[in-house]
Order: sequence, then structure tokens, then C-alpha cells
Amino acid sequence: MHNPSILCVDDEELPLTLRKLVLEKQGYRVISARSAQDAMRFLYGHPVDLVLTDQVMPGGAGSELARSIKERWPHLPVILISGLNEIPPDAMYANLFISKVEGLAALCATIAALLSARCSL
Amino acid sequence: MSDSHKVNILMVDDQPAKLLSYEAILANLDAHLIKARSGREGLELLLKHDVAVVLLDVSMPEINGFEMADMMRQHPRFQKTAILFISAVRMSDLDRIKGYQSGAVDYISVPVVPDVLRAKVSVFVELHRKSRELEHLNRELETRVEQRTRQLQESENLLRERADLLELASEAILVRDLAGVLTYWNAGAEALYGWERSEVLGNPVHEILCTEFPVEVTSSESTLVNLGRWDGNLVQKTRDGREIIVASRQVFKKEVGSILEINRDITAQIRAEEALRQTERLAAMGRVAGIIAHEINNPLEAITNAFYLLRNHPSLDEEARYYAQLGEAELARVGHITKQTLGFYRESQHPVNVPIAGILDDVLQLQGRQLQTSRITLDKKYFTDGEIRGFPVELRQVFLNLISNAIQSMPHGGYLRIRMGTRWNELNGRTDLCISVCDTGVGIRPEHAKHLFEPFFTTKSTKGTGLGLWISKGIIQKYDGNIHFRSIVFNGKHITSFRVIVPGGGPALKSLDTTHHAIADETARASLGYA
Repeated sequence: MHNPSILCVDDEELPLTLRKLVLEKQGYRVISARSAQDAMRFLYGHPVDLVLTDQVMPGGAGSELARSIKERWPHLPVILISGLNEIPPDAMYANLFISKVEGLAALCATIAALLSARCSL
Repeated sequence: MSDSHKVNILMVDDQPAKLLSYEAILANLDAHLIKARSGREGLELLLKHDVAVVLLDVSMPEINGFEMADMMRQHPRFQKTAILFISAVRMSDLDRIKGYQSGAVDYISVPVVPDVLRAKVSVFVELHRKSRELEHLNRELETRVEQRTRQLQESENLLRERADLLELASEAILVRDLAGVLTYWNAGAEALYGWERSEVLGNPVHEILCTEFPVEVTSSESTLVNLGRWDGNLVQKTRDGREIIVASRQVFKKEVGSILEINRDITAQIRAEEALRQTERLAAMGRVAGIIAHEINNPLEAITNAFYLLRNHPSLDEEARYYAQLGEAELARVGHITKQTLGFYRESQHPVNVPIAGILDDVLQLQGRQLQTSRITLDKKYFTDGEIRGFPVELRQVFLNLISNAIQSMPHGGYLRIRMGTRWNELNGRTDLCISVCDTGVGIRPEHAKHLFEPFFTTKSTKGTGLGLWISKGIIQKYDGNIHFRSIVFNGKHITSFRVIVPGGGPALKSLDTTHHAIADETARASLGYA
């Protein structure tokens, strides 16, 4: 039984690194990508259990990444995370949208819930 | 002298020779000489001409001179016409002549001395001229008096018209002296301020109206005296204590020392402008909140993560871990504030069924400790489970705001009453869900009441962002509902009540028992989860 792996996508380095470290503390294997394109390239060679992506990124929004992922791997869970109040109109391609203000505990609970739901499938 | 100004002299004698001689004597008097051969002819000529003097022979056949004079005196027109009798000196004649008391009468005896005749006639001619002149002047005077009277009448009409106009004006128009003592008060002023003319005249205006000046009274009065006028807005009170704002224009009349004042009620206009500004401010606040949210939430998440890593780092000793914990706790507060103020978003794209009873119980459970430590008695009754279509997180935020405000207003204990029920709304024919949160805390001061739902307004000097109620109202308005509040003093206690009304209350349930509640709690908590 290996630890679940998460692909973490964000254009900003510092928040990405910190998020990765926190998730690693929770026992996940975390791979980070700095853009939607990098994320897609990585996914073609390496299957993961979950994708956690920032919404606002130059060169491809998180919701667009979610759409590309779902077209190729419909069962791979994708979580959109954003500092914005407004939910993007195409957020439905992701499994979940969560605001950054909900905090760490909420994020971890969400990830755990999604992963366990996937395991039980 | 022109012809028209020549006077007429009527000469009456039955003897043509005498007439001719009189004519010769009087020729140089510059008068029309009219000759009559008898009393009858004389009378006829009198009617035709305006005669100054009648030269009358006493002894004439048919009608003698006296008889003709009597006839003349009976006619109103000739009562004052001068008569110069020509007679032989006979005592009886003289006595008779003296009998003519009124009117200009003289006599001349025969034989006629030309100079005497001329002299006597010219006296009468002069008299006639003078009296004619006098008459003329008199007539002229009368005309002028009449004209003047007409002018006065006209200006009086004009004044009356103006006075009527003043009464017609909807503006308050008043006249006062420099001390403010009123001398005029129109119908508009009576209507605007509610004070009758008889009650205010002779009294100081600013005392009656409790006028608040935008500048010092002395400065506005000195502007008025020096420049002759002053324009500005004043806050005044009507008789029934209503506060009104008037646009006032005042003019100082130096020569009479009085001030004319026209005040127009602009209260409604000002209120409307205020409301508009308010709306604009709220909209701007919303936009700013959206922008700030993004800029704050991103670094906030990163810092929170950093503190989490720091706190759990094995190399930290107890003291360092304590500091990290302090930092993390404070950070949690920042997170809480941004979530409350900037983070109201819809957590899912589709609304779900949310039982408000569950939300209320969830909030009350969260605040349970606070209720206990502040020794607050809770009294809740739900007459429905209040299920509505919506988004649980934002609804939870509304009731968390209201309930935690109520708890914070009672640091030394009190009574928290929560009621939920449905109400038939006659206005729109639908059922509304009503939730009221009532406390016996410090109350809300009337001057704070109208700002209560404004952003950045808070009565908690140190705690609180002043955004809670503003956000709550915004959320409830999205549901086409509203939040009302009342604060009253009852038995020396402040009672503050917030009532949330949202449409779509659904059918009212029978009073729910506690088991029902427990079930509702479970469903609510399940639906409140993030997964």
C-alpha cells in the first residue's frame, strides 16, 4: 500500500512549495508543477491519485486544466483552489472548488474525502 | 390774448343808440360785445354765450331790467353772473339794487360817464376772468386728484396681488429683524413648520425652529449685514419635533433693518441623495472586497502553511513552539476576518436544500462555551425546520454573525431568545421564513441605528471589523429577503432583536420535539461538510 500521490499546480513558487511541504507532512507523495502545460506533460508519463491546482495562472487557468485532465482521465479527482470569491464559470470540470480562506484543515479534509471516495469505487 | 380767451359782455337796452354808445365806450376792453334790444333777447343770448357781465338798462318796455335780473337769478347758471344796472338816479331803484344780496351787482347812473362805465365793467370782467381761471385750476386739481387716487388704487391692487402670491408660495417666507423677531410669516411657513402666524409673530425665529447653522450664527449674520445676503442650508425643527433641512436665502434690507428669508424644504431631496451615495458606496465596497480578497487570500494561505510547518518542526524547543503557536493563532484570526469579510463566495454552483434549524443549532453548539462562560440563558423554539434552497456556508455566516453579536453584547449574562417560524406575506402572497435573534445586552443607540448595516461600522471598539452585518444583509438580500432590527428599552433593560426574513419558508411544521431536532442537526452538519 503506497502513499497516495498528489500533483500540486501553482504558478507562484513560494505558495506551491509550502503547500507541497504541508501535504507531505500529511503523508502524501507530492509532485509540483508550475503551469497547466507542465502538469499535463507530467501526467502523460506518471499517473497520480489526485490533482490540486490553483485557479488563477498565466497560460492556462486551473479550470481549463481540469477540463483537459477530465477529457483524458475522467476518474482522476481534481480540486480547484483559489483566493477569489467568485467561482469560475467552468469550475464544473473539477470535482471540487475550494477557497483558500477555508484554511488548511478544510483542504486536508476535502482531499482525504475525495481520495477515500475514490478508493471505495 | 386769443379770441377764445375773450370774455363776452352782454348789453341790453331798448334804445339802439345807447347800445351803440356803450359799444364805443367798451370797445377797447378786448371783449366780445353782444347787443340785445330787449330783456327777452338778452335772456336768449345769455343761454347761447358764456357772459361775463350783463349791462342792463333798468327801464325797458315789456321786461324791465329788474324783471330780467330776477329771471337770471332763478337760473342756476346765471346766479353769479355780474350785472351792471344802468338807471336814472331814483331812490326806489337804488333800494332795489341793494336788495340783490348775492352775486356781483352794481349800478351806474345816467348820464353814463364813459370812464366810470369802463372801470366798473372791467372790474367785473377781471372778476369773471379770475373766477374762470380758478374754475379751470379747480378742474385741473380735481383731475389730478382723481388720477392720483386711481394710481393709489392700482398700486394697492398690486400690493394685494403680491401679498396673495406670498401666501400661495409653498416656500416658507418670513420677515424678521436682526434679533430674529418675526414680523411676517406666510402660509407656506405655517404649512412647513406647523406654527400658526399668531403663535410666532413677535417671537425670535431661531428659538422657535431650533435652527442649526452650518457656520457660526454670528458669521452668517455678519455676512448678511455686510453683503446684504446669505444663502445656505439650515437644519430646523418643526412644531412636532421633526428635523428638516431647508435651503435658505436671506436678504438684509439695511434701510428698514429687516431680513427677508425664503426657506425651501429639501429634506426629501437630501435623504434621496444620501441613499444614493450609500448605495454607491456599498457597490464600491463590494468591488474592493473582491479585489482585496484575491490579494490577501493567496499570501495568507502560504503563511498559514508556513506556520503549520514551523509549529510541527521537531527541532523547535518548547519556547519556540509556543511562539509559533501564538503566531499561528493570530494568523487564524486574520484568516477568520478575511473569511468573514472578503470570502463570502458560493461554495457550490448549485443551491441545495438547507434546513436553517440545523444551521442555528450548529452555530449555537459552536458558541456553547461562550454561552456558558457569559452565563447566558438560551431560549430557542423552532416552529419549522426552515428548509430553504441555498448555500449552507453563507447562511451559516449570517446566523453566526447575529448570534455572536448577541452573545458579545451580553458579557455579564443575559437572555438569548431564538425563534423560527413561517409567516404568510400578504403583500406578495407567499410564505416567508422568519428567524429572530433577541438579546438583553447593551442595546443599540438610536444614532447608530441607521449606520448598522453600513460597511466598517462597528460598536465594538476593539474587536470586530464592522463588516458582519453589512455582509449578512448582502447575503440575505441575495435570497430576496431582508434583515430588520429593533432595539427597545423595557423595564430598564435593552432588548435588541434582529429578524431575518427569507421567502420560501415552506409549509409550517407542527412543533418539533427534541428527537426531531437531533435528526435535523445531523442532516445539517452533514450538509455543512465540504466534501
